Amino acid sequence: MSVYTEGIIVLLCINAIAAMGVSLLTGFTGIFSLGHAGYMAVGAYAAAILTFRYNVHFIIAILAGGTMAAMLAYIIGVPTLRLVGDYYAIASIGLGEAIRLILENGGTITRGARGFPGIPPYTTLAVAFCFFLIMAFFMFNLINGRLGRAFKACRDDYIAASLLGYNTAKYRILSLVLSAFYCGISGALLAGFLSFIQPIMFDMMKSTELTSVVVFGGLGSMTGTLLGVIVITLVTELFRPISQYRMLIYGAILVIIMVIRPEGIMGQYEFGPNMFRAIKGKLFGNHFAKESRKL
Amino acid sequence: MDILVQQVINGLSLGSVYALIAVGYSLVYSILMFSNFAHGGFLVIGGYICYFALKNMGTGILIAGFLSLLGAGAAAILTERMAYKPIRENTNNTLYLLIASMGMSIVIENIFVVTIGGRFRALPAIIPTQPVHLFGMATTSAFDLISLIAAGVFLGILQMILVKTKWGLAIRAAAYNLRIAGLMGVNVNLLISITFFIAGTLAAVGGIFLAVRYTLYPQLGAITIKAFVAAVIGGLGSLPGAVVGSILLGLAEMLTSGFISSQLRDLVVFFFLVLTLLVRPQGLFGKNIGEKV
Repeated sequence: MSVYTEGIIVLLCINAIAAMGVSLLTGFTGIFSLGHAGYMAVGAYAAAILTFRYNVHFIIAILAGGTMAAMLAYIIGVPTLRLVGDYYAIASIGLGEAIRLILENGGTITRGARGFPGIPPYTTLAVAFCFFLIMAFFMFNLINGRLGRAFKACRDDYIAASLLGYNTAKYRILSLVLSAFYCGISGALLAGFLSFIQPIMFDMMKSTELTSVVVFGGLGSMTGTLLGVIVITLVTELFRPISQYRMLIYGAILVIIMVIRPEGIMGQYEFGPNMFRAIKGKLFGNHFAKESRKL
Repeated sequence: MDILVQQVINGLSLGSVYALIAVGYSLVYSILMFSNFAHGGFLVIGGYICYFALKNMGTGILIAGFLSLLGAGAAAILTERMAYKPIRENTNNTLYLLIASMGMSIVIENIFVVTIGGRFRALPAIIPTQPVHLFGMATTSAFDLISLIAAGVFLGILQMILVKTKWGLAIRAAAYNLRIAGLMGVNVNLLISITFFIAGTLAAVGGIFLAVRYTLYPQLGAITIKAFVAAVIGGLGSLPGAVVGSILLGLAEMLTSGFISSQLRDLVVFFFLVLTLLVRPQGLFGKNIGEKV
């Protein structure tokens, strides 16, 4: 395998971990965020500082990065998740940008806007892929389990969910904390992959990209999210030779998918037998189609 | 004392430019209930039309400004027709409109990067910037005063349109409830086009002043995020709120950079945003969004 292909696979794994986190929050809990790049930044800087300054083993540093992001999300989430709908999305823009600006003004600790060089390159293909597999295993178990059902209940009708005895506030915060943990891990892996991080890498564009990948794949479909990551990462990589058109095409794809198929590639379906049953039902007018649709 | 007065005037001038842009955000939000992030694109389009009209066609500032307002308004209508109309006819979910607007802002920004390049361009000296002495109390640049006056004039015209004309009445009705306005015989598609046109022209005015202040480049539209914050602080959907929020934000930004540190000015903006949302999520003048079961 050439170094270039290897790099793309590592990047895919890193992007997929962050996208799974955002998918849990946006697709499964129904909270729209435009600031998750901030949590990636926290994970990246935590891991960078721990490995570079304190010679901590990289696995501990990556986990610490994820934990730092999760803790920050808890502190931020308790007051801000009282906001419903558009207002949390707006608040998350402010929070994400604030994290970036604090890192830019961090003085000698974060080395400011010029960036943080010299991080040991610990993210090899094996490390990235193992992390991806473990995180994906936990995520798929989570969304099909008790917690996942509670998250979906909060998404579909949080008033009904709270009447059924779910503590919706608790589940919303838990979902945010978990998604921040995933983004923190992803950021920590990115720091080890590039050996150099800069606050501007985690700006609002990056947050938008994370959310749009999830919407592109289908809100409420984890396999759709992974498909979205693969498509968007490959499109941006394949168009690298005509780099100035790259962002133009990316923006146009975003608009076109919203116009043509706003529910995303997969809709709410997961890739698997249920999806084929549903397609078959649609084609042949089978009344099982509705029941086999996985919500 | 001198510095204080000077910074207050700078803040008012910056705030008035924000107000022109924030009013556009609020106008669109009040009708379609989504934050149009492509708004920054209209501002850049207006700025570039003004630049090329001055540079290549050799027109005066009035004609160049007129062309720029017209062009940005037309671009806003075109954006709405191409990207938002099919979506709003398909679904009620404003999330899709939000993402499409982000896509459009990336598209507009990169059309300029691809066609004319990303380099910084300075507008010819069309607006005087010589120092002006204000009654011996403070010295400020003529540019700050002109932008303050121009913003006031344009916001006044907008207010006149909204209060005195038939279409203004229709816009106010649609802000109350778009569906019912449609049922009462208002041509909704035309109304939305008019609203986008107004928002686009105001953005172009803001764009020309920002281009003079900071030079012109494709990513200039990113600055509208601050105008958006101002609209949220004032209360999304409320026009007086957008103006007051913008003035407050402009003052806060200039006073921070004047007396504390210019590095913190952006941080102050986002701090105010989060604080507003925590204390009073509907903003200063926003309608209280009660939850109905």
